[in-house]
Amino acid sequence: MYNFEFIYDDETLTTAVEKQGETFRVTVGESTIELQPISENLFSTIIDGQRKVVAAVRSKDTCYIDIDSVLFELREPSDDIYGAGAGDAAGEKDKVFAPMPGKVVKLLVAVGDEVTEKQPMVIVEAMKMENTVLSKAKGTVKAVNFAAGDQVDTDTPIIELELEE
Amino acid sequence: MKPLFNKILVANRSEIAIRVMNACRTLGIPSVAVYSDADSNSKHRYYADESVHIGASSPRESYLDIEKIINAAKQTGCDAIHPGYGFLAENPILAQRCEEEKLTFIGPSPDAIRLLGNKVASRVKMADAGIPLIPGMKDSSADINLYRETAQKAGYPVLIKAAAGGGGKGMRIVNSEDELGAALEAARREAKNAFDDDTVYLEKYIVNPRHIEFQVLADNHGNTIHVFEREGSIQRRHQKSIEETPSVALDDELRAKMGADAVKVAKTAGYRNAGTVEFLLDETGHYYFLEMNTRIQVEHPITEMVTGVDLVVEQIRIAAGLELSEQLHHLTQRGHAIECRIYAEDGENNFMPSTGKILFYSEPVGPGIRVDSGIVAGMDITIDYDPIMAKLIVHAPTRELAIKKMVDALNAYKILGVRTSKKFMIDCMLHPEFTAGRTYTNFIENHMSNREDESNTYRHLAVAAAAVASMTTNSKSTAQLSETGGATIPSPWEIIGAWQIGDSIHV
Repeated sequence: MYNFEFIYDDETLTTAVEKQGETFRVTVGESTIELQPISENLFSTIIDGQRKVVAAVRSKDTCYIDIDSVLFELREPSDDIYGAGAGDAAGEKDKVFAPMPGKVVKLLVAVGDEVTEKQPMVIVEAMKMENTVLSKAKGTVKAVNFAAGDQVDTDTPIIELELEE
Repeated sequence: MKPLFNKILVANRSEIAIRVMNACRTLGIPSVAVYSDADSNSKHRYYADESVHIGASSPRESYLDIEKIINAAKQTGCDAIHPGYGFLAENPILAQRCEEEKLTFIGPSPDAIRLLGNKVASRVKMADAGIPLIPGMKDSSADINLYRETAQKAGYPVLIKAAAGGGGKGMRIVNSEDELGAALEAARREAKNAFDDDTVYLEKYIVNPRHIEFQVLADNHGNTIHVFEREGSIQRRHQKSIEETPSVALDDELRAKMGADAVKVAKTAGYRNAGTVEFLLDETGHYYFLEMNTRIQVEHPITEMVTGVDLVVEQIRIAAGLELSEQLHHLTQRGHAIECRIYAEDGENNFMPSTGKILFYSEPVGPGIRVDSGIVAGMDITIDYDPIMAKLIVHAPTRELAIKKMVDALNAYKILGVRTSKKFMIDCMLHPEFTAGRTYTNFIENHMSNREDESNTYRHLAVAAAAVASMTTNSKSTAQLSETGGATIPSPWEIIGAWQIGDSIHV
């Protein structure tokens, strides 16, 4: 019996895996799921009478899953913060990070502005596409650390907020 | 038989470079790849018979550097260059430099590229030739009577647009003459506030437009044909996402009429080789010329699926001076084909570009399924280039069956490590408006904003699969992952996380 923990939507789910012959029997909460390996990263299972092929791979502390084109990235609980999207991983709602390395095209807020949740904060260009980054919480803009034209990575917050209590 | 060219240099990367190399192979012509620093381990580099490094990752220092491309061709003994799409494909200077260096440019003449690249000049020329354009004012005016006359001639509804335009500001749809005066004032006011410029103009408002394009082929002997239409109405940020052929909006009569106009556009421009004439089609069967693209298009495979023509092979044959073969004059459309573009973007998060290493890759197979791909497992998807990774194309006897086949093929297409919009495209195609064929350019805006998040349904299965992947990755696949270029692989004890053998006491 092997046990694993994964984070799904801020919730930690515990699993127990048993291997019976070639079949993996996995207990998640109340349910038991059987997965038959097709190849190293493909597994088949039956949902509502239909056979589905699930793709799954693990890299470092993250598992990447495809079930009927619905994609999951499940992490094991960890104190470490990994490089990319560090801010997001740590759930720091008072900081706005670039989703990927790129260039700041336009800042949509200034220091002192009051912002609401999901308000557009900054436009970042990467891969020839412009992306609008939204605020994760309500608050007041405390600092703007970059200007239009600056290159940004995913580790340094572009904008910092004073959260409203 | 002597091959048509000694050797062809493919001045592009990823899936389209590989597509062109396949056509070269079909014709028995060796191909040469060019690659940048970022592409030194790319699929396209090793797909060609030879390859030449042409510089740094930035396109300006490699794929867009005309002299480097020309030098690479000369250095490897090529006598022709195929530009693919994007990069230098519609750059008249490359075509010009090829002529000067006695290399064959597999595409139209520099003059045709120049004319059709100038959207204003080409529209004037096409209007003179009798090709329909969206009716409207040529310039702005202060005189309301001019707006009234133009609107009457074009027919309501009409659209008032800000010249400085963008984001719908200063834009007004006018349904009848009574509304015109007030709408004009409002649009001017809005334009003034938004752009500090109250210049507006009026054109016909196209209700529920479709994007219909015609593939054309023209040889150097005066023969020009069309190879039917493609519909690419499903667009996001003016980027096509799903394309199909035939279009449900065309009957034989309209197809013949639009096709004849597409041929006329090509002839008017003095066009040779493969090109695409784009139209907007309204609900009443009126169509309007938009532009002609002077390259092979991303979506060309759907035309190949229903006609059996290899368009890139035809491009090479035409460039070698051959006449269009007799059978090209008697083509028919057989069945229905759909293409979905697989971008490295997150369809569940505002199509944010997605980067990372491809950790697992598996293509769907089966009758009528084609994958044009530029990626392999272990490859890094970076921000250096266009996010298109691959194209999935299906062919079936009917539209309904093609949709079904595409949904199944997308589900069987597994790419892990970067996010894609597979699920978004499936939801588009299963939407009742799509299956009913009501595919207008506003489809995504109108029907896809409130999609259901299905991830919760699968959360237990996802966690179960993650647990199993953690076990299997732990045993045998670590070695394989590191071979395919995975980052430093931690010891199995580090990656397996909290676990215990025997009783399931959790630590």
